[in-house]
Amino acid sequence: MISALFAIDRNTPVIIQGITGRMGRRHAALMRAYGTNIVGGTSARAGGIAETPVPVFATCGEAAAATGAQASVVMVPPEDVLAAASEAIAAGIGVVVTVAEGVPVHDALKLKALADASGTVWIGPSTPGMARPGIVKLGFLPDISLNPGDWALLTKSGTLSYEVGYRLAARGLGQSIWIGVGGEVVKGVRFADLVAPLAADPATRGILLVGEVGGTEEEEFAAALIRHRFTKPVLALLAGRESKQGVAMGHAGALTFGETGTLSSKRDRLEAAGAEVFFSLDALAARAAALAPSSNQDQSEERAHGRPAAG
Amino acid sequence: MLLIECDGKALFEASGIPVPERVVVTGGARPPLPGEGPWLVKAQVPAGGRGKAGGVVFCATPQEVDRALAHLIGRALLGHVVQACLVEQAARGREAYLSLMVDPAEGAARLSFSDQGGVDVEAAARDGGALLTEVCAAEREAVGDAIERLAARLGAQSAAGLRAVGPALADLFFSRELLLAEINPLFLEDGRPCAGDAKVVVDANAIGRQPEIRRLVEARPAVYPDMWRKLNEGFDFIDLDPDGTIGLVTTGAGLSMMLIDELTARGGRPLNFCDLRTGQMRGRPDRLIRVLDWLAAKPGLKVLFVNIFAGITDLSEFARLLTQALTQFPRPDIPVVARLVGSGEAAARAHLAAVRPDLAAYTDLDQALQHVIAVSRP
Repeated sequence: MISALFAIDRNTPVIIQGITGRMGRRHAALMRAYGTNIVGGTSARAGGIAETPVPVFATCGEAAAATGAQASVVMVPPEDVLAAASEAIAAGIGVVVTVAEGVPVHDALKLKALADASGTVWIGPSTPGMARPGIVKLGFLPDISLNPGDWALLTKSGTLSYEVGYRLAARGLGQSIWIGVGGEVVKGVRFADLVAPLAADPATRGILLVGEVGGTEEEEFAAALIRHRFTKPVLALLAGRESKQGVAMGHAGALTFGETGTLSSKRDRLEAAGAEVFFSLDALAARAAALAPSSNQDQSEERAHGRPAAG
Repeated sequence: MLLIECDGKALFEASGIPVPERVVVTGGARPPLPGEGPWLVKAQVPAGGRGKAGGVVFCATPQEVDRALAHLIGRALLGHVVQACLVEQAARGREAYLSLMVDPAEGAARLSFSDQGGVDVEAAARDGGALLTEVCAAEREAVGDAIERLAARLGAQSAAGLRAVGPALADLFFSRELLLAEINPLFLEDGRPCAGDAKVVVDANAIGRQPEIRRLVEARPAVYPDMWRKLNEGFDFIDLDPDGTIGLVTTGAGLSMMLIDELTARGGRPLNFCDLRTGQMRGRPDRLIRVLDWLAAKPGLKVLFVNIFAGITDLSEFARLLTQALTQFPRPDIPVVARLVGSGEAAARAHLAAVRPDLAAYTDLDQALQHVIAVSRP
């Protein structure tokens, strides 16, 4: 159930699959420092790790049974993501975030079928993860860009979304929730899946969508806005205006063919659904600031000086 | 990544999908022509819409073939230079359309067939034309069932053509982990269908375990330069504008795309797209040195723009690697603008100021963009 994402807080038990790897070690410690309740991890290697003193298990089933984990952050190489995430789904873990870039698309198809059949919320692949700023993060969204606030930030690209979060923070704006759906073609949670829960989320005053050329996800999102009669403001930033046909710029999902997935198709559909569309970072941030009822400078001060306040 | 037609047809042929007799010509002496003619001469560029752009020429005589080859090879077409042409016997018969693709929204496979193939099939489909589709689980068996369901909706000749080619196309789709396998036109004649074209999109993420696809890319570094670089260097670098003046040294696909848009909107001309993946550099400047070498070779280069938003990467280490790489940069006359923000920013700026005081360092993106534009004018 997608609503599980909005219920994740500092009490939610989270495991890291691949916790003894270079990335797993580092980000387990960073997530823990942010406030995420890391209760354990899995690794093919035995033994614990110094950075995060939590139990390490051989399998996800054992980890879930021993810790009651409700969410998992999968930090394994792309070719191992299908096996690891399948294990998490089989263990009954409700939210699975896979950060790796480069997961084969046919693996993603298999994983999506598994996740859908079991009602698991899968975020990824190729994502920095998700966060409820000031409360919890699953993945590696940088603290410098996280700021508690009232905009839901939905993004394909990691780095571009960091830039957007950073600019918002500089203007005293922040996020109620931040979900990186990832830049791949086939993925778990898509932009459109988030419209209904965000319509119902009292902490969210509007949506900032960071999309890009390629695929049809922005178009699906626009259709969902209409279908759900979404009434909160929606501001969309679209990247890739200068991309070449048939060339995927880094993101596999950014491949364009003919008239499908072009920026003009996305802009037309989003605008028809009542969203405002921008092609520059500054224009987006300025518009979000103009819509803000008041600044929340105090929170951003606190964020800048270390551990955020409990939410 | 879209394969050029001759590579797609090689995959088709290996899977048992009939294709016309053909030869690939890359310039120089022309090999003997296949069969009696007439022939089609087709520019081999990885882009759709070749026919409308003049990249496909019908030739009745060998002299016409030679003229078409001389006209096409080396010419720019749809943003690519024509490195090779396919010369094949012009197939005859009724033209149909068949494709099997990944459906991202459904997380499924989508099988499509139309009785009316040809260059306008997509436009016809949008106008409510005769494109029939079946969406099913992305599994070989489910696609087999979908082929039967679709065939049941077709006339006798089309159904026979679909049943003859569909299973082989499905085998190819799953065994090679394709994103799209499209035949348009699919010629239907006398019970022996024939693929007049091949549009095959491969999954860059699966190339590591698809040696046959990898061989195709490795064999044509000039046709697939972006994928070739990704395979052999581990990061993305795409040439954008041969007359560009701004060399980008950037990380992150989405942010790099956005920077290209921002620079272009301000009248700048970026040379390239770049996603360094700084997180994978592991304390070595090699990747930066490669990018700087490629950019130094661009005749129009006026400025290097380094932009790193470091969420996790330590900027002080990056700054050290950057100054190391710059000592080997073959164009020391080129100004460098670096916009660095994130963890380790202060130490990074101190290092740059000490080692490369000439380098313009910024935290604010808009100021950095302004500086880059100002020095990028030819």
